Parts: sequence; structure tokens; C-alpha cells
Amino acid sequence: MELASQPSGILMTGEQFLQLRDFIYEKSGIYFADSKKSLLENRLTFRLKAYNFTDYEKYYYLLKYDPQAAKELRSLYDTITTNETSFFRSPPQIEAFAEKALPDVMTRRQKAGEKTLRLWSAGCSTGEEAYTLGIVLKELLQDTLREWDIKIYASDISEKALRSAKLATYNEYALRGVPVEVRQKYFKAENSQFVVTDEIRALVELQFLNFMDSQRMQLMKGFDIIFCRNVLIYFDDAARKKIVSHLYDNINPGGYLFIGHSESLHNITRAFKLVHFPGALGYKKE
Amino acid sequence: MTSILEKIKKIDDLPTLPAVAMEALSLAHAPNVSISKLSEVIHKDPPLATKMLKMANSSFYKRGDKPVETIQRAITILGLSEIINITSSVSVISTFTSKKGFIWESFWDHCVATAIVARTMARKIRMETQGREFVGGLLHDIGKIVLDYTVRDDFNKALDLSITRDCPLYEAEQEVLGTTHMEVGAFLAERWNLPDYLRDIIRWHHAPEMSQFKPMTALISIADLLAKAKQLSYGGDKLSFVLADQTGWQTLIEHRYPMDELDLERITFEMDSLADTVREYIKSMSE
Repeated sequence: MELASQPSGILMTGEQFLQLRDFIYEKSGIYFADSKKSLLENRLTFRLKAYNFTDYEKYYYLLKYDPQAAKELRSLYDTITTNETSFFRSPPQIEAFAEKALPDVMTRRQKAGEKTLRLWSAGCSTGEEAYTLGIVLKELLQDTLREWDIKIYASDISEKALRSAKLATYNEYALRGVPVEVRQKYFKAENSQFVVTDEIRALVELQFLNFMDSQRMQLMKGFDIIFCRNVLIYFDDAARKKIVSHLYDNINPGGYLFIGHSESLHNITRAFKLVHFPGALGYKKE
Repeated sequence: MTSILEKIKKIDDLPTLPAVAMEALSLAHAPNVSISKLSEVIHKDPPLATKMLKMANSSFYKRGDKPVETIQRAITILGLSEIINITSSVSVISTFTSKKGFIWESFWDHCVATAIVARTMARKIRMETQGREFVGGLLHDIGKIVLDYTVRDDFNKALDLSITRDCPLYEAEQEVLGTTHMEVGAFLAERWNLPDYLRDIIRWHHAPEMSQFKPMTALISIADLLAKAKQLSYGGDKLSFVLADQTGWQTLIEHRYPMDELDLERITFEMDSLADTVREYIKSMSE
């Protein structure tokens, strides 16, 4: 019986790891530190098996030179990204958004005579955050929602995650943070799953976006509030600086950025003003 | 018409600081305080001495495995300034938690939180404090006790106003009472003969640039805000703020403290457990 000692993933040599790590970093900015070698092994094993490859060399050449490379690259992104999220994640941040940032931005907009709002869930994964923002907006604005021109952009590098976000269908577990009355109002129960109502889905626009794609990043203009939570952790400092600098440019003066509860921009940028909301932090562009 | 502050000044039975706490505080910054002198002061108040030993053995202060059995030993292990912190904490808190009506729990939660945050921040910016930051944090809002004691109904109105208007409590106090907890607190500090630095912290923690002890008062003003940001507040106002825009922050920069080095996000995140630390501290003090 040798099964017990067999590793679950196909082993990578140190050289192969560096080759693939650098390739992934160059394409996506996502960085696998040396300590993450076995994580990368475990994840890429699935891709190797899809081609019946037994070593990483072939896979690397496929990514680099094969006519199918672009297609495989997208599967690679699906494989290496983490899709851990939930509705109303980090409630104090959602409250700060609902009670402080959003009213602040909306007052400013109304004064300027423009009833438009542009939000962005950057690194939206399977969509929970974007739909949460939609629900919060509807709860806040009620019937006056239709007086506003509102778009919540939701972008991710994983097409698989985006397909799932498009279905807007979730299990009980994803809804664990959702209050009962919100659940009843904004979700339809279907075959023991929960589907976000059309009204909320209509606010959200999903799109594929690679943060390293500077051209596309430059086009994402005019946002009032951006959520980029627990995303920057997958990048190294150089890539973080690049992404955050884009996000800064993409936010309107007076707008806000929210990053993950345990994250910090201290070593990344001082361009924003750090705002202490009750129980949560946010960044304001002056 | 006499102002509320004038009325308060004429009240004879204002809360008094226990004699031992006053003595310990005045010893704190006297030159050449000896361990035996301080130990003698503490022994004048046997319940205090007992509590003191309990505190010294609590997880908050405990160093090493051996239990601390004498006050002298506690002073040797914890150091003079720490002992003065504990003495003043224990005596002030136990004096005022016995009065009814006031929401003591959240009041002291905020004060202890401010003291703990002030200590953390002082260490981060390498400020020499001799323990003053802890006592300062603990007593900065003492004027609220006097307001509750003397003009409770109006003080409650001010508390309500600060909630409904989402404004700082001192603004609501000024409007309803014509005075503030800082003014009233400063008066009490004089009556209690508290050291100058404490009187200044109490008077100027919302305008540290006015203090004669600017860095220390600024430190407390920052700690006060951070404690509130962690939902450890008393007074209802749920305000947002930019720390770097605060006069306290600017004051510390002017005094060349390395504010720019602080990873505030990380510090704020690390304070997630502040509420637990505060409760543990208060529990060990009141047992």
C-alpha cells in the first residue's frame, strides 16, 4: 500500500516553480511567494491532468507558445484565484458604506445636480459583494432608486467566477450574513438555492478584467466608491502599487476606496486620506 | 443668571478623590520617591492594598510565574509609575462605580480603552511618558461624572442631542448646558489638586494645541478618538474622522514624533481585541 505516501499534486521542480511563478506574475500580477509552492502545485495539477500532462514543462510551453495559449490562460486564472466571499462580508465596512460614504457621495452628487452613481466591486469573485452593494442602495433609496442613474461594475480575472456571478444563484452558506428580512426581499428561493432578484441584478454589470491590463484599467473612470477587498493580498508590492495607483485615478474627487478589513495601504500609497469610520476604515480621495 | 459651571463650583458635596489616590498621584512625579514611601501610602488603605495585589497578579500585569505577595514586591516588579497607574485606576474607578444612575460600564470602558490605546501609541512613537499617559487616558473625561452628578437631566439631554445630531458631545453640552465636560473636569481637577499635566489633559483633550503639555494632551486626544473608532465610546456620537487632520496629530508631528511611520491600518486592526483587553482589565480591578 503506497497510497498514503503519494502526494496529491504533481511535483514541481524548483526551476519549474520559478518559471511558472514568473509567468503568472507577468500576466496577472498575482504572486506566489516561495512558501506557496505546494499551493501552486495543488492548483496546477488540475490543469496538467486536463491535458494528460505529467510534468510542468509541457504545460509551460503550452502557455507560452501554443495557439490555444490564450484560452488556457483563462482556465489558469480560474484555477489560481481564490473565490472566498459572502454577502455582507465585514458588516462594519458595509455599514460605513451605507451610513457614511454613500450619503456623503450622494449629497455631493445631488448638489452638483447629477444623480449618477458609479460603484465598482474590483475583484468581485462570484458576485456577492456587488449584489450586497445593490441591496444596500435599494434599502437606502427605496422608491427613489429609479431617479438615480446607478451602475455597479463588478470585475474579475476568473471567467468561471464571473459565470457564477451572472447566475446570481447562491446556497444557504453564502447567505449566512444576510438578515432574514433582506433575504425575503431580495432573494427568490429556487430548489433550495437563492436567486438575487432582477431589480438588484439590473444594477450590476459584470466584466472580465485583468488588473495588469493598464489600458483597460485606464478606461475605468469616474467611480464614486470602489471596493477592492481581500484582493491585493494576492499581489506583490510592485503590482499592488500599480493597481492602487489605477484605482486612485479611477475614483472621483470626494470618492472612497474600501480594502479588506485586515489590509493596509501604508506601504503602498499615501495619496488617499485614511478615514476612521465607526468600526471600519476607508480611504478618501480629496 | 448664573451659569451651570458657576453653580457647580458652589456645590460642596462634589465627588472626592480618595485621599490615597491623591497622595499616590502627587508622589508619582515627586523626585526621589522611594518604594517604601509609596508602599506606606498604599497600606493606609487596606482594601486598596488587597486590590492592588490582585491586579499585580492579574494577567494584565503579571510578569513571570511567581505570585506577587507583598506591595513592596509588586512595586519592585511593576515599577513605580505602573503602581501609581494601578493605585489611581483602582481608587478612581471604585469610588465612582458605586454611584447610581450613570452608565458606568460604558463610561469606564471608554476611559480604560483610551488609557490602553494611549499606552500602545506612546510605545509606537517612542514617547517617554512615565505612565502619565495611562492615568491621563483614564481620567480625561472625569468632567462627565460631575455633569451627571450635578445636572443629570440636562446632561442626558446633551447626550441625546449628540446622538440625534451626530455631533461631538462637547458641542451638544455647550448648547444645552452652556459648559462642557472639559471645563467642568478642569475645575474638578483643581479642586482635587491633581497634577498640572492631568488638569491640562482633562481641559484640552479636544483642543490639545491649547495645552501646556502639548505632546501628552495630543496623545490622549488621538487615543480618545481611536477608542471611539473601536466602538468603545461614551456619549453617543458615532463620528468619522481623519486622524492625520486632527490638531493632536499635527501637534505630535510638530514635536517630531514619527507619526508618518505608523501603519495606522495595522494598528487599528490590532486593536480589534481592545474591547476584550478593556473588559479583562476592569474585571481584574473590580474582583
